Amino acid sequence: MSKSNSARKRWLISQAELEIWLDGLAQARTLIAPRQVSGIMLYRPVAKSNEIAWHGQTPRSAHAGRPVLSVKEIFFPPTERLFTIQKTGQEIRLEETFPDWETVVFGVRPCDARGVKLLDALFLDTNPVDSFYARRRGNTTLIGLACQELGPTCFCTSVGGAPDNAHDMDIMLYETDGSYLAEAVTEKGRFLIPVCEWKETTASPQQSTYSGQFPVPEKGKWPEHFNDEYWLKISERCLSCRACAYVCPTCRCFAVRDEMLAPGQFERIRCWDACAGENYRRVAGGHQPRAEKGERLRNRFFCKFFYYPEQYGLGAASACTGCGRCIEVCPAGVDITEVLMDLEKQA
Amino acid sequence: MNYEPRIIAFLCSWCSYTGADTAGIARIKSPANIRAIRVPCSGRVSPELVMRAFDQGADGVLVLGCHIGECHYDTGNHRAAKRLPILHALMQFAGLEPERFHLDWVSASEGERFSRIATEFTEAVQALGPVSWRVAPGGWQAAAESLLPPEKEVPMPALDCAGKTDAIRAKAKELLTSGEVGCVIGYEVGPRGRTRPAFAYSAEEADRLVWNPDVSNNLVSYLPVKLKPKGKELPKKVAVVVKPCDSRAVNVLLAENQFTRDQVHVIGVTCEGVSDGDGSLQVRCQACSEHTPVVCDTLVGEPQAVVHAGTVARVDWLEKLPPRERMEFWLSQFDRCIRCYACRQACPMCNCPVCLYERDDSTFIGLGIGLNEKRTFHLGRAYHLAGRCVGCNECERACPMDIPISLLNQKLAGEIEKTFGHRAGLAVVPSPIVTVLSGEYKEG
Repeated sequence: MSKSNSARKRWLISQAELEIWLDGLAQARTLIAPRQVSGIMLYRPVAKSNEIAWHGQTPRSAHAGRPVLSVKEIFFPPTERLFTIQKTGQEIRLEETFPDWETVVFGVRPCDARGVKLLDALFLDTNPVDSFYARRRGNTTLIGLACQELGPTCFCTSVGGAPDNAHDMDIMLYETDGSYLAEAVTEKGRFLIPVCEWKETTASPQQSTYSGQFPVPEKGKWPEHFNDEYWLKISERCLSCRACAYVCPTCRCFAVRDEMLAPGQFERIRCWDACAGENYRRVAGGHQPRAEKGERLRNRFFCKFFYYPEQYGLGAASACTGCGRCIEVCPAGVDITEVLMDLEKQA
Repeated sequence: MNYEPRIIAFLCSWCSYTGADTAGIARIKSPANIRAIRVPCSGRVSPELVMRAFDQGADGVLVLGCHIGECHYDTGNHRAAKRLPILHALMQFAGLEPERFHLDWVSASEGERFSRIATEFTEAVQALGPVSWRVAPGGWQAAAESLLPPEKEVPMPALDCAGKTDAIRAKAKELLTSGEVGCVIGYEVGPRGRTRPAFAYSAEEADRLVWNPDVSNNLVSYLPVKLKPKGKELPKKVAVVVKPCDSRAVNVLLAENQFTRDQVHVIGVTCEGVSDGDGSLQVRCQACSEHTPVVCDTLVGEPQAVVHAGTVARVDWLEKLPPRERMEFWLSQFDRCIRCYACRQACPMCNCPVCLYERDDSTFIGLGIGLNEKRTFHLGRAYHLAGRCVGCNECERACPMDIPISLLNQKLAGEIEKTFGHRAGLAVVPSPIVTVLSGEYKEG
């Protein structure tokens, strides 16, 4: 779908033009954008562009402009109803509840867009296709905003990304001195652009000059470290909460359960779950194959850099986008970059 | 229109249920709104049952038991008498109208009393109209952003960290070299310059230990697992570095038999407050008056009195709001929760092997990450910490979504202190709400 860099059409627009456009988008569709909610920044629906936290810095975090949760929650919400079950007498009726509203997400960071792409590998590109995810994904257009700089915990450049990478967006915006260079990356994105009103330009965004901050161990190196003592040691401070997984753009485990709504009425829901949890892998009979938190934390890293890429054919890419959220939220100071550097040193 | 409230009444099988029967036999009129649930004892009515009733749409909950002193199980109703008022205070704090929940005592012969209490309660609930506690899926939208009053910024006082660091390292080395302890849990500075928990097993590793203004983690959280017997074997003694607030957690865990006193060597460090990361004192430290650990084997630092400016009383501010606004406030907070359980995992008191709110067979709470479930989890957790929370505030610090969870704990700590004169962890005594009543109890 995406054209090569040089063939992409570009427009130069002012802040005012951008806001008028976003206001228009918000009228016909659901517009989701970074917004301040009780002191933290989240991707939330906005009715007008003036609700958007443009360059918002949260009071408690020095991190510039990155919402606490990734855009994952838009495609794969914390809790989703799959269908309802109605039992009347002998008759049982199942009713699916598909989400089918059109959504535009504005202000997507390149690391988050990369995360969505990685989720596609599991939910869309592997059979069976997840129809709920597919529906949301198909109805959603991603409008990216290039990061001006790397935040204190960012390391996207080390895992193959860049703060101005347009690759996984539908439309990409580059901010330059109060105006924006808009780039249509996909057909779906171009469809939303008011081509008659905007001024087309031949200018191209500045070439990215970022290079990796540190080397990441190759995929093939991981299995030999499976039985290392290191995992028990590094995990000692881990509290086995799930904050790292829930803020992660690519952690996608879920649990499914039927719950009663009223007598004779049930719903099947799926909600986020994470391998850090103490009962995540417990099986019938009570056995827990990952009883030690070192085993659970190891799974998190292996999943990002070995299992997931191996299983879903990502090639040399990892399932980590380098957004750094897990580093920021960990109450005990577990740091994924430290783990990567330690492993690289041992290799 | 005649509004008929749905009222759930938990009736003790021995007294109140029979009392309701007595009312029926004597043909005394009682309201038909009461759905009676027969329980073996009012002590059986756990807070989860009451919350579940409201979560399922009850307009009011009535709990009736035997008079104090007449319990069939001697002290079952003591538990009801102690803990249900605490739950009542908590649910009011979360925005429930106080009239919707009532605890009273009715004996088997008091048919008339049953009828009077049931009628009065029903009328009170009827006057309030339908309850708004239960939230329909997608049925809540933030009306307006409810923000707490801003916190006062108090600059960090200058601290002697180098001296304390040296003392901690020296003690840790001594303990590890002599083999008295197998591990010292302290603080280190990570590669990003962040202070975090550290586990030292040898004298060399003890050189990593530090003391600085950012030593926020409550390291006592690691003790229950670290000191758990493996089979018949007791693990080696562990030394732990504690601040005064953390030291109170040691006392609570000792009272609850999580480990024994001789299993742990407490390195207590005097504390003048911990930084919030931006050079200011953490809000909890602004109101803290304890600067010397209440339990320790080794004391580091000179005990000194430090007077901080008072803090903005956020609990008072919330309590002054009308119930409806208070409920809005809490819903807007819980709405952000993602049920990651960071609060619970960081808490030294939350050490159940399987959390009641995470059991596969839990009938109190669903699996969903919805508003009802999140509220039930947070209120239930706050209730379970009543009389046990030492105010270390790790729950709130660990929260990735900045939810002011500690307000619930502060509210209940105040309630417990007012009712029982108890502050958690000052001595090795369990929470007063798990023990029986002492002294004379006055009904009403």
